Amino acid sequence: MEKVKVRLTVNGNSFCLEVGAKERLLDTLREQLRLTGVKEGCSIGECGACTVILNGEAVNSCLVLTGQLDQSEVVTVEGLAQDGRLEPLQQAFIDHHAVQCGFCTPGMLMSAKALLMKDPHPGREQIKTALEGNLCRCTGYQQIIEAIESLTGPERE
Amino acid sequence: MKDFQLLTTRELSAALQYLASGSKVKLLAGGTDLLVDLAQKSHRLAGIDYLLDISQIKELKLIRVRDNRLEIGSLVTHTDLSENPLTRRYFPMLVQAARVIGSTQIRNRGTVGGNINHASPAADLLPPLLALRSEVELTAQGGSRVLPLSQFVTGPYQTCLRPDELLTTLRLPLPSPDYYGSFQRIGRRKAVTIARLSLALVVRVTNGLFQDSRLVPGSATPYPQPLARVEAALNNQAVAMLDLEEMGRLAGEEMVALSGERWSTPYKKPALASLVKKALLAIMEEVAADGKG
Ligand SMILES: Cc1cc2nc3c(=O)[nH]c(=O)nc-3n(C[C@H](O)[C@H](O)[C@H](O)COP(=O)(O)OP(=O)(O)OC[C@H]3O[C@@H](n4cnc5c(N)ncnc54)[C@H](O)[C@@H]3O)c2cc1C
Ligand code: FES
Ligand code: FES
Repeated sequence: MEKVKVRLTVNGNSFCLEVGAKERLLDTLREQLRLTGVKEGCSIGECGACTVILNGEAVNSCLVLTGQLDQSEVVTVEGLAQDGRLEPLQQAFIDHHAVQCGFCTPGMLMSAKALLMKDPHPGREQIKTALEGNLCRCTGYQQIIEAIESLTGPERE
Repeated sequence: MKDFQLLTTRELSAALQYLASGSKVKLLAGGTDLLVDLAQKSHRLAGIDYLLDISQIKELKLIRVRDNRLEIGSLVTHTDLSENPLTRRYFPMLVQAARVIGSTQIRNRGTVGGNINHASPAADLLPPLLALRSEVELTAQGGSRVLPLSQFVTGPYQTCLRPDELLTTLRLPLPSPDYYGSFQRIGRRKAVTIARLSLALVVRVTNGLFQDSRLVPGSATPYPQPLARVEAALNNQAVAMLDLEEMGRLAGEEMVALSGERWSTPYKKPALASLVKKALLAIMEEVAADGKG
């Protein structure tokens, strides 16, 4: 079967990839680029474990074909820490006990990161909306929301 | 499922050329319906030769006003639709519907064109778009045709799109000041389907009378379609004297006439009646506030 050629920037590095017709962004990240922070839960857009940031927006990488993404930019959880230092959002998740089994955490972090890139001072409602597509079976969400709120400063009126 | 090839292009003309080739081509936009079908090996993808990715065609991502209509490109995402100043200004009902679709991730990728063409009974944009009397522009290599959306969607998961055509643009007539609208919704997609229902209502008010009513429920009938009997009953009624109970009851009855008695009917019939009353009440209040009742 013919492969599709795609130029992709992932966590700041450029790649020229050959991908199959049914290859999802999730598959490319995990299998070609070995970025296994991206998790596969439901495979149908319901759980958010596979969330990455595509051209500045949170998307489910299980619902995108890599062949659709020529000249796109992707950030995964591996792209958050810089020079061996955790990004403040990651530290906040640790400080607020927002991680239990950890399966949902990469997706949660990417949804939260996408929100903060768009709006550095979201209120609680916006945080909840941003996390609507991310399921967590362990924490009950409260600690996750508090972790994010600890970075957003006082809520706007 | 047999193997297909993936084609991609940034040019509308190239996409139309692929569609005209005579092979079995399936269009791919945001993929939020199609990739679920792919994961579940749906019959909807059986026998296709090519998947044609149109998600990077920029000219189909515009929202603009032209000739007294709002034109929405088929590749506009739900996020873009609900954040756009023109949609917010002219069609708050559409913004309301788009904002609660799926999740942030789904809204960032899912498109207006995909929602219409998938034509699911639960497609959230269809009731408001139908109530707002949208038209669709369908383009093939030889030219375009324009159809009312109500004629385009012909059944559950069915449209009259020809194999060589692509939905390029949606056109909504800009509302004149005597038009009023209300959108109501209960339940979330994640909730079991019985708890899901929506309603879009658009009316004109002339000399204190309802005219030109359009009432379209979502997740109530086999596919979203106007309730013509309720519309007829509503037209020429005085806004100030409307029998809300009667309108709600009629809507429940027409829904059952269209979908048959189902296990969900005992819940959905009164639920729809209550949405109809709420929508009418919201409009009546707005009309009164404008001093037109
Ligand atoms: C987890 C989840 C939650 C969801 N929640 C909701 C919800 O709450 N409400 C709701 O309404 N929907 C919901 N959806 C469904 C879906 O997100 C929407 O219907 C979306 O708008 C589809 O658009 P798309 O661009 O992703 O379509 P795609 O999957 O790319 O395409 C869908 C269909 O339309 C065709 N098509 C696409 N564009 C065109 C075009 N321009 N011309 C002709 N044919 C075209 C394709 O060939 C395909 O048959 C949900 C989906 C998921 C996975
Ligand atoms: S694996 Fe993608 S949303 Fe669940
Ligand atoms: S920490 Fe276990 S699923 Fe969220």
